Amino acid sequence: MNEKNRTESVKSGLSDEILHDHNHDGVDRRGFLKCMAWAGTGAFCVIKGGVLKSYSLSGFPFGGHESKGDLSFVQISDSHMGFDKAANPDVVGTLKAAIDKINALPVPPAFILHTGDISHLSKPGEFDTVDQLLKAASTKDVFFVPGEHDVLNDEGKQYLERYGKGSHGSGWYSFDKNGVHFVGLVNVMNLKAGGLGSLGGEQLEWLEKDVKPLSKSTPLVVFAHIPLWSVYPEWGWGTDDSAQALSYLKRFGSVTVLNGHIHQSMQKVEGSVTFHTAASTAFPQPKPGQAPSPGPMKVPADQLRTLLGITDVNHVPGQHALAVIDSNLV
Amino acid sequence: MKITIWISAMALLLAAFGLGGPSNTFGATPDDKPASEVAVKIDNFSFSPATITVPAGTTIRWTNRDDIPHTVVSEDKTTFKSKVLDTDEQFTHTFTKPGTYSYFCSIHPKMTAKVVVQ
Repeated sequence: MNEKNRTESVKSGLSDEILHDHNHDGVDRRGFLKCMAWAGTGAFCVIKGGVLKSYSLSGFPFGGHESKGDLSFVQISDSHMGFDKAANPDVVGTLKAAIDKINALPVPPAFILHTGDISHLSKPGEFDTVDQLLKAASTKDVFFVPGEHDVLNDEGKQYLERYGKGSHGSGWYSFDKNGVHFVGLVNVMNLKAGGLGSLGGEQLEWLEKDVKPLSKSTPLVVFAHIPLWSVYPEWGWGTDDSAQALSYLKRFGSVTVLNGHIHQSMQKVEGSVTFHTAASTAFPQPKPGQAPSPGPMKVPADQLRTLLGITDVNHVPGQHALAVIDSNLV
Repeated sequence: MKITIWISAMALLLAAFGLGGPSNTFGATPDDKPASEVAVKIDNFSFSPATITVPAGTTIRWTNRDDIPHTVVSEDKTTFKSKVLDTDEQFTHTFTKPGTYSYFCSIHPKMTAKVVVQ
């Protein structure tokens, strides 16, 4: 993204029209930037027939056709239970607020995906607290993948005992709901010095086999903790072997990739693949490169909940892609 | 002072056995303390100093000054490996053999650094 495009998009007032579709992916730079601009303030982005539309949450037609789908689920991420520093001394309170938000959704979700960093320090009591709080959610079905904070000190043994039933390797698995194929991947194990997130050969092999029998019209949702796209490698915000994984998903018409880890919502579209990161329920992190490090970002107390959030995802059969709606905890 | 005299004696002894090269920190001036423990700070997702050169026998003490936990793990993951270090927690390791020891934070593997033991 060059500086000229950046300047133009600001001047253009983020028009809805696609002006430059260089990659023939239905998304021009301005469209992408526009989606990025909404991110974090409550955003809704949907791709229909290759056309990207975005709305602010206040302008979103809740209850209209687009919010009602055949399958609706919610993604939450990065609860960091046990974190007690200045960036948010009450991570219990904000997770409760996230659950209240889930319970208030116009379409009750079929289940919740938690994309990792359930705990801050992998302490049993931290996992217990999250499990207890999630019992208040309108849906009891919660699917997890681990974050690096969930597998500290024991190579993920405790995580597997708690959440890994029926999974493979260090906790990866897949399941089907209403014709949508879901794949939970683990990219926080066996990290190498100087590297990024890592899936590893065994998991990649499994993934290739897992999606092989599916028809290309099967909508796919792939979720993992660390982004499976290169958000900002300088801060470790990417996965070394994600390109290999994505090559197995190329033939599918609709792929939605949901990640956490970076504590802010971002979206990117590449061909038929929509990448999305969810906000944290615990504390925000800075925008890529806009701080000396990706550590917890301290904001005034009255702004904190505007930067935390949940992500609501809807699948409408026959429509090209899943609708992804971010909302904050205010 | 007794300590100064002892260090001077050590320096002479090492020099006599050919162990005290010009870069040896012992006995540079009579008031220097022996470099038995050296601090490395973990701050803003980095180790500081990123490269530290110490004589064999030195203990390095790492302190995590971040709001986020980190670890100190040798690149081979076996030579030394801390438990997770929460804010203000410390880890020490004594380097007895000369060599270059690359290490990283196994939670944030972009954080890399090294200890050069002479």
